[in-house]
Amino acid sequence: MTKVHDRVLVLLCCVGLVTTFFAPFLDQAPNRLASSTPLPLLNAPGFEAGAVILGLGLFMPIALLTSDRVRSLATIGASVLLLWACLAAAGHLAALRAPSGTPAMRLSLGPSFWSLAGIAVLALLDAAQRARLGLGARLGLVGLVVAGFILMARAGTFDSLSLTKEFLAHRAEFATELWRHLALVCAALLLAFVVGVPLVLAILRNDALRGVVLASLGIVQTIPSIALFGLLMVPLSSLASAVPVVKAIGVEGVGPAPAIIALALYSLFPLVRGFTVGLAEVPFAVKDAARGLGFDRRRMLLEIELPLALPALLSGLRVVTIQAIGLAAVAALIGAGGLGTFVFQGIGQYALDLVLLGAIPIVLLALAADLAFQLVIGVVRR
Amino acid sequence: MKPIAFHAVGKSFGATHALCDFSLEIPGGAFCVLIGPSGCGKSTALRMINAMILPDQGRVTVGGEDVARLDPVEHRRHIGYVIQSVGLFPHWTVAQNIAAVPRLLGWSKPKQADRVEEMAGLLGIEPALLERYPHELSGGQQQRAGVARALAADPEIILMDEPFAALDPTSRATLQAELERIHARSGKTIVFVTHDMDEALRLATQMVVMDRGHLVQSGAPIEILRHPANSLVGAFLGGGSIHMRLLDRLAVRERSTPRRTGATGAIAAGASLRQALDLMLATGSTRLAVVDEDGTWRGEIHIGDIIAGGEAGTSDASA
Ligand SMILES: Nc1ncnc2c1ncn2[C@@H]1O[C@H](COP(=O)(O)OP(=O)(O)OP(=O)(O)O)[C@@H](O)[C@H]1O
Ligand SMILES: [Mg+2]
Repeated sequence: MTKVHDRVLVLLCCVGLVTTFFAPFLDQAPNRLASSTPLPLLNAPGFEAGAVILGLGLFMPIALLTSDRVRSLATIGASVLLLWACLAAAGHLAALRAPSGTPAMRLSLGPSFWSLAGIAVLALLDAAQRARLGLGARLGLVGLVVAGFILMARAGTFDSLSLTKEFLAHRAEFATELWRHLALVCAALLLAFVVGVPLVLAILRNDALRGVVLASLGIVQTIPSIALFGLLMVPLSSLASAVPVVKAIGVEGVGPAPAIIALALYSLFPLVRGFTVGLAEVPFAVKDAARGLGFDRRRMLLEIELPLALPALLSGLRVVTIQAIGLAAVAALIGAGGLGTFVFQGIGQYALDLVLLGAIPIVLLALAADLAFQLVIGVVRR
Repeated sequence: MKPIAFHAVGKSFGATHALCDFSLEIPGGAFCVLIGPSGCGKSTALRMINAMILPDQGRVTVGGEDVARLDPVEHRRHIGYVIQSVGLFPHWTVAQNIAAVPRLLGWSKPKQADRVEEMAGLLGIEPALLERYPHELSGGQQQRAGVARALAADPEIILMDEPFAALDPTSRATLQAELERIHARSGKTIVFVTHDMDEALRLATQMVVMDRGHLVQSGAPIEILRHPANSLVGAFLGGGSIHMRLLDRLAVRERSTPRRTGATGAIAAGASLRQALDLMLATGSTRLAVVDEDGTWRGEIHIGDIIAGGEAGTSDASA
């Protein structure tokens, strides 16, 4: 008797098949404002469409495999195939539908594409987790997927998609905003770290203070992001006009300064809490033994408490980094730039592809940061 | 060999009086065992010696110096300490754990390594275990590593808080024997906390019975067995089996007399009276010949010698 060993895979396959047949893979419109006609996957060239169906269909037999490891590895293979096939199908379908000389023609990725690509990524992440791939294997897998994408991009596969057109039109800005986004995130994390570590050390042996600090940081966490950015504008601009030195180093009511401060404020709570919990979880017996053997406060912290709390610290940092990458998008609203610029421009111009030009790299950055932290935490935990 | 002394020490944790007017002198080189019911203040007293807890009233002195006036960190580095829950450092290997205090004292790497090896040999820790992490050891191996860590810097004083509590009877007996040997050879002052009366009687040169923060009785184990200070000590010493325990502590040579009545079995003069009684029960004879280690005849011991001596020796316990 056959038995399903991975129900999630079956579910993903069914959802994928439904969207393949009932949702548009691409949307075609003669220009930005005109209403669009849906293009199902089946309009794509047979080879690519077939590959998509094959990749998705393979999930079914794979779900029946008994061995966990074999099933995970097979899932990885099928998901990579599905992902590549989706990309190729989208590119080639768009090329078929966009004859040259119609530059206003919009071919945007539709719900079916997004769900299929999403299914592939989900299955891939889950299987990579279960297969307990080593660090090298994980990086190799990411490299493989990225290499496929780059090869297709080089070959001009995606040239007819409107997302690509937006990218080409904003190419120079894209690089600037990407760097600016990263700079915002790094500056905010650095600030949070520089403020957070002494804060943790201060509240570590003071229960009353710990309660107050964690509660106030928790309240900051609940302020909606746009409101916090706005709230910081007023005091910073009055500070800048009152103290010339502050203005001279570039602090103003708008721009990067309030953005970095707001992002750092949001980062403080998870960082401080994760770190405090990590230090508090060092077993009492271990600290007691260290004290009894003659460790002084400094050596106790550096040689016993910090190494044992490091995984918790890194987990906190991971949460905070991913959160900051996402939140930094809002910084564009107060003139700090970053990938959010495209998102808000796109919303203003009703250009969905421009929104995606900002949103997709943000998601990818977050995924990359997550992967990087998983690797580091893996090394530390040994 | 530094003596340790408690001078009318008092300590409270909130409403709990952990120690009350506690005075005790532990001579240098003693093997002092603190024993008493749970919560009577044994760990508290022990932790005052290395300044982990400071007294509210009174003074604790080590080698004549008031512990409260010493630099606690430096003081602790010269006192071996085995805590009640072992507390090995989970992120360090067994070897690194054992080398902890030598490293704090700034010993050279080769000297540290030599000492780790020596300690592992002394406590029967297989060399293969040295590169493992504590969670990869059995409970007994962890306790051995904990003891090795406490002894590594060759401290003059060793504090041990129920170090063998988690061990099976066999490993416990082995480690007790090793500890007895270390004590006999090095002449270190050892202060040892236990719940286990047999362990206390076996190891102690000085036994201290405590109850609810008070010192009830202190002295050589055999003296306490012979003359329990009150019914509480008597009960704690094992109630009904107190006389059997006494037989355990007394040697055959103390009761044997040079006479010849034609006893069949033979027993060594150094064996305990309990072993003599056991041999009588096993062989069905009421008389045994007593011989020295070299086999020379010394006399005989009769069942009456064992019983009469026992009654006379502990007459005030049953009163
Ligand atoms: N840090 C502390 N805070 C509050 N109370 C404490 C503290 N340490 C010890 N006590 C209390 O002091 C008393 C004596 O404790 P201690 O640890 O010395 O007992 P013990 O004889 O070692 O007991 P056990 O045999 O169970 O280890 C107990 O009532 C205990 O609850
Ligand atoms: Mg205790």
